Amino acid sequence: MSATQPTPRGSHCGRTLVIATHTFTQLARMKVFYFLAIFAVIIIASNFLDWQQLQGPEAAGANALASIKSSSFGTMHLFSVVLSIVATALLLPKDVEDRTLYTILAKPVPRLDYLAGKLLGVLLLVFVSLALMDVLMTVVLQIRTSMIMEQQTELAQAAGYTPDAIASLRAETMANGPNASLQGAVLAVFLRSSIIASLALLISTFSTSTLFTTVISSLVYFIGHFQADARDFYLRIGQAGQGGFSRAVSLLVSLVLPDFQLFNVIDAVIEGQAMPMLILGKLALIAIYYALFFTLASWFIFSDKEF
Amino acid sequence: MNIWLKSVILSLALLAFGAARLPYEAGLSHELRNARLLPPHLEINTLDKIGQTSSAITLGGLRTLVATFLNLRAYTAFAEHRWPDLAKTFNLIVDLAPHTRYYWETGSWHLAYNAAGYYLHDSDLPPLRRRELWRSYILQGHAFLERAIRNNPDDWKLLSSLGFLLTDSNKIPAFHDTNACYAAAAEAYLKSAATGRTSGFEARARLYSLARVKGKEAESLALARSLYAAGPQNRTPTLVMLLLVLEAHENPSLDVAQRAIQLFKTPQKAYSSLSGHWQRTRDGFPVYGVSAGLLSLENSLGISKEKSVLTKPLPPPPSIDDWFHN
Amino acid sequence: MPEAAPAVEIRDLVKDFKTSFRRQRLRAVDGVSIRILAGEVYGLIGPNGSGKSTTMKALLGLVVPTAGSCAIFGKDSLKVDSRDDVGFLPENPYFYKHLSGAETLRFYGKLCGLGGCQLRDRVDELLALVDLEGARDRRLGGYSKGMLQRIGLAQALIQEPRLVILDEPTAGVDPVGSRQIRDLILRLRERGITVFLCSHLLEQVQEVCDRVGIIFQGRMIREGRLDDLIAIEDQTEIVLRDASPELIARITSLVAGVPGTDLVRTGKPRTTLERLFLREIREEER
Repeated sequence: MSATQPTPRGSHCGRTLVIATHTFTQLARMKVFYFLAIFAVIIIASNFLDWQQLQGPEAAGANALASIKSSSFGTMHLFSVVLSIVATALLLPKDVEDRTLYTILAKPVPRLDYLAGKLLGVLLLVFVSLALMDVLMTVVLQIRTSMIMEQQTELAQAAGYTPDAIASLRAETMANGPNASLQGAVLAVFLRSSIIASLALLISTFSTSTLFTTVISSLVYFIGHFQADARDFYLRIGQAGQGGFSRAVSLLVSLVLPDFQLFNVIDAVIEGQAMPMLILGKLALIAIYYALFFTLASWFIFSDKEF
Repeated sequence: MNIWLKSVILSLALLAFGAARLPYEAGLSHELRNARLLPPHLEINTLDKIGQTSSAITLGGLRTLVATFLNLRAYTAFAEHRWPDLAKTFNLIVDLAPHTRYYWETGSWHLAYNAAGYYLHDSDLPPLRRRELWRSYILQGHAFLERAIRNNPDDWKLLSSLGFLLTDSNKIPAFHDTNACYAAAAEAYLKSAATGRTSGFEARARLYSLARVKGKEAESLALARSLYAAGPQNRTPTLVMLLLVLEAHENPSLDVAQRAIQLFKTPQKAYSSLSGHWQRTRDGFPVYGVSAGLLSLENSLGISKEKSVLTKPLPPPPSIDDWFHN
Repeated sequence: MPEAAPAVEIRDLVKDFKTSFRRQRLRAVDGVSIRILAGEVYGLIGPNGSGKSTTMKALLGLVVPTAGSCAIFGKDSLKVDSRDDVGFLPENPYFYKHLSGAETLRFYGKLCGLGGCQLRDRVDELLALVDLEGARDRRLGGYSKGMLQRIGLAQALIQEPRLVILDEPTAGVDPVGSRQIRDLILRLRERGITVFLCSHLLEQVQEVCDRVGIIFQGRMIREGRLDDLIAIEDQTEIVLRDASPELIARITSLVAGVPGTDLVRTGKPRTTLERLFLREIREEER
């Protein structure tokens, strides 16, 4: 072993990926995936939120699919937000407390790589969780849709519907089952989480306490839902030139907080609207824009932080 | 660089970043609202009514989830006959999920049928009061369906349900203008059939409604003829009968009996069909030439005056005075 | 041939900390200068709170100096590439408990840009060096303190650095483990690796270091070669084996006959408690 051999530097990507996969395993070993069992229970329970109240073949299981979808998405949304905030909030304080941060930064690891790796690790965790939930939801949805289609076909045939009518009935039901737009909606949930995770990362570089970061990030997330309203208010009221203070406040809110309401397209998809790829692309663009900005801002603060 | 300076720089950067993306976000938001991918803003009132936790979830973006649970609340209201609560809840539900057909259908059904029917038989209130409530709920159900169609103009089922409500002989007395009802029903069935997703019933139902509109006999006849010609699946007894009476209206000198035998194949079937139609007073179908046809057939079939259907008392047309008597 | 850059060059390092509620700044390091040449083992000793750890952290870029500069092999500490040549073992390290010994080394190796067969061989080599092959697949959560220190040393060496910085390497470790670590440090010196360590266990520093600096309240109060510093100048030691009492008496009278020289002490030299302990343990093992 020679003492003068030059060491290979490695690449930014390589280092970031190493930290990302490591963060993923670290978080995964915190027994995060057990919640999937709870999700399975919720989604199976939602199957039973179906009161047969109307007559006719169209009414068979009419509300079941919507119930399954809205329950699944509700859980997915809640879980991804909580995970994004809490998992990100605990990463930096944990490393500092355990002094593992020193050993990593004592290696030739640029601080940006470290932050980016941590964020990517959290995002990977959220992505995998959502993917698993998506699979579960799609399977249950597919099974229920087939059951409903058969039921409807039977009733329709008994009622003497024409084959065309039966075909269109089946098509309508199938459109309410699993489809590409639904997968797009799951992706929208992920994109929203990535914004909130990168925001939590920024806040955690300021604060040294997991609790503080969690509380502030949750608050920002909640207020962020009103960002669209604040923005509309500012843009509309601006013309009349009244209310200086409320204008100033609404402007501040509009500029500082992300517009989380854009991701409410999920509701429309649950109700059966199609989501064009272009829209998904635009949402992805926004999410990347935010994630990049917040990561760079985190690096700005973190770069000369002392330990 | 100390932390304060850094915070100032960061805040400025945040504001600048915000200013840069603001137009893009506003534009995207607008685009999504137009494409009906984003729901319109929820009114503050609606948020009040839903309550805090639900508001949080709604703003958080799962309106459909809140609607699912409100639906349970509405069902309980239905089971306990709390009609005003039910109406309020359904209005909330459709605010949250305006494109889910199920909620519109169920809501209007509860209002126009269950609530109204409840007041038909509930003997606690005085008759005038019950009648008023019966009427009001039918009108609420009707308004609900119309709002449904405004929100979902392409939905064939909602249009069909509207037509069904407006031609229901038990509900028509709640409306002022019967003629207008039938005309509106025909319009609704026309739009429903035009979506191309219906079973064929809607096309026929359009005729059934149109035939009852005074002044539209010519149009109805043309429709009846085209439906008849379209195939045997359309030749329901009602349709064939309507074809007959409309032809009699167009041509007063038509030999109704002969034509009836032509359409119904045998004189006995013709007679029974004509008698059935004659006695069908509740539905308000036109009866042009039916009595003449009946007389002629009675002569040829040798049915005596005592057994004639023309001398039997007719079932009375629907009258709400009778229903709310006691 | 131009002079190679010294392994460590700390010039007039000053570091102030702001304490939360008082306005006064705490001066942790006050004008410390250290120069370590390649291949030396340097020990920085001082009581708790004297600024040892802060100096090391400034050298590693974990802390930004208020004044002065630090460089490793000529590269400024505030730049990332200065850490290419450095391995660091912090005080009471924890590492990631969920990883095994081998996995930990692989993780740090990948961070340094190693990979593939090279990394695998390096990991095997280091595990053998620190004598942890038997525990390579056990989670770090199950390691003893001595084992943790050793795996820490291994990760510090993963990318074959020319300089190794050790912060209290034997604190809290039992005498056997402590001996092993000291032996490792000596082996590193044989290979030409520069070692910069700090400790407040003075006997252990004494055994390993070439040069020593004493730091107190942020200031370097004494620095120099160990042998020079601790030699008691005016005394001489002669150790005899199997000397008869008559010989001792003759030497005593000889010394008494020379003016200006005193016989300070005769008697049996004492072994250290540590040597006794190790001897007993080894006999027990046999």
